[in-house]
Amino acid sequence: MWLVICEPEDLSALWAFQGLKRRGLAPLELLSPEILANSLRWEHRIDSQGARIAIKLADGRTVLGKDVCGVLNRAYNTPLPAWRHSSASDRLYVQQELFAFYLSWLHCLSCPVLNRPTPMGLAGQWRAEPEWVCLAAKAGLPTPSFRQTCFDRVNENQGQSRLIPLGAPRRTVIAVERTVADATAPKSIADGCIRLAELSATGLLAVDFIQGVAGPWTFAGATPFPDMRAGGERFLDLLARTLRRGVNV
Amino acid sequence: MILLCGIPTEPPLAMVTGALEKLGAPFRVFNQRRFAVSRMILEIRDGSVTGWLEMGGEGIPLESISGIYVRLMDHSKLPEVEMLSPTAPERLDCQGVHETLIRWCEITPARIVNRLSSMASNNSKPYQAQLIRSHGFEVPETLVTNDPELVREFRAKHGRIIYKSISGVRSIVQTFQDSDFDRLNLIRWCPVQFQAYVEGVDVRVHVVDNQVFPTKVASAATDYRYARDQVGASPDLTATVLPSEVQASCVRLAQSLGLVFAGIDLRLTPDDRVFCFEVNPCPGFSYFEANTGQPIAQAVASYLAGEHA
Repeated sequence: MWLVICEPEDLSALWAFQGLKRRGLAPLELLSPEILANSLRWEHRIDSQGARIAIKLADGRTVLGKDVCGVLNRAYNTPLPAWRHSSASDRLYVQQELFAFYLSWLHCLSCPVLNRPTPMGLAGQWRAEPEWVCLAAKAGLPTPSFRQTCFDRVNENQGQSRLIPLGAPRRTVIAVERTVADATAPKSIADGCIRLAELSATGLLAVDFIQGVAGPWTFAGATPFPDMRAGGERFLDLLARTLRRGVNV
Repeated sequence: MILLCGIPTEPPLAMVTGALEKLGAPFRVFNQRRFAVSRMILEIRDGSVTGWLEMGGEGIPLESISGIYVRLMDHSKLPEVEMLSPTAPERLDCQGVHETLIRWCEITPARIVNRLSSMASNNSKPYQAQLIRSHGFEVPETLVTNDPELVREFRAKHGRIIYKSISGVRSIVQTFQDSDFDRLNLIRWCPVQFQAYVEGVDVRVHVVDNQVFPTKVASAATDYRYARDQVGASPDLTATVLPSEVQASCVRLAQSLGLVFAGIDLRLTPDDRVFCFEVNPCPGFSYFEANTGQPIAQAVASYLAGEHA
């Protein structure tokens, strides 16, 4: 069994789900965080044998961790459908509890998970722009000078960026497990993206570039939560290949 | 130059401040509550990090800072901003200074105790338990579930079980009592973490780089941190010694989590098994040092000053 975990409005993930289906991954189950939140039974155990997860969904499906061969993980949120009328402090508490729980059960899956959850992000580690710039420089990518001051009012959580001027066109290169989906990227850029994915321990990473001070491929940001459609059919091939590696796990 | 970040009167920060004074190492304190007279600029060029931190009119180049001790409290909860509206200029100023400081802490090449990203594993106890287990420690048998029937079976199997939060929030360990069966159905609304009770002696191990300071904790409470509430008496703390292989495992565990300074909670059983409950990434060690005389603050200060073993 393979899983795609995503919000119902995550068109990029739904596109990937269809693409993986066409490539023969079966059974392939689509799970939304809402469906997970309404699970009839969660059973997550840690003991001398290791860690395990079993989920009985409200629609009758059952997910056993040992049967999962691969996961496209786009869970960034833990919805609280049953808690909407509770106090803000209780909702915050439950949100943190569920985040902690999802992190643990997703972590215990031994199959390929793109991306693996981290304490800094369920679908891969969230990093602020300065961290990405430092890592990109270390990866050998052409980076611009970066400046952040205490007077900035840039909200990266809302997609605002210091690295990309408003309206500037960008190119996105997606790296999946030591390969890039964009065949047009120069080799040095492709190698740099792969190195950045390794340095950031991110299996599926999108790297943005703009025409900037460091040339036509000036680093402009990276995310573990990309619009995967930018990678096209080649990306889907890479994704399917990576997720299939779990068949023998 | 060493930078201490937090509230100067907070005991752990005050103790490290005192230790640095004794050491004669130059330091400055970023007092969170004085954010209004603080300014910060962070710059990166070709991967090199530079910048400027101004506090009360005194400016320090970031590249001159070689050690940082982070004891920041949630800046949105500071008394100066807590009651302000989300868009109040003072709140945004406070946020701007802290955000720039936190970003810098993640990328500075300075010795840092500890980076915030490294502290995050403690936000999920079962996740951290999996990491702990991979380092050779035993962890209590754990069940996280929203199914009351599974809890009944778990209790029947283990006899005495405890429950606690999954995250680091509202985390007080409680023994599951017979009366708790009456409200067990409530877990259907949110999964809860249950663990088999482990009999034995609590040992808090403070790790500072490669130094280890174990403290034996004697208390009848289920959670000794709340002993006064649970059993009406404070725990008895004494410095102790651990087998060298256990000490080495503690150092390796802290290192693997990216923590220079950690408080590791162990329980040693009568049959010589070593269970590890959790790793506290920002230990409030002052209570332990005050009761045992272990030179923990001095070890932190020495590390920050580059004088560690």
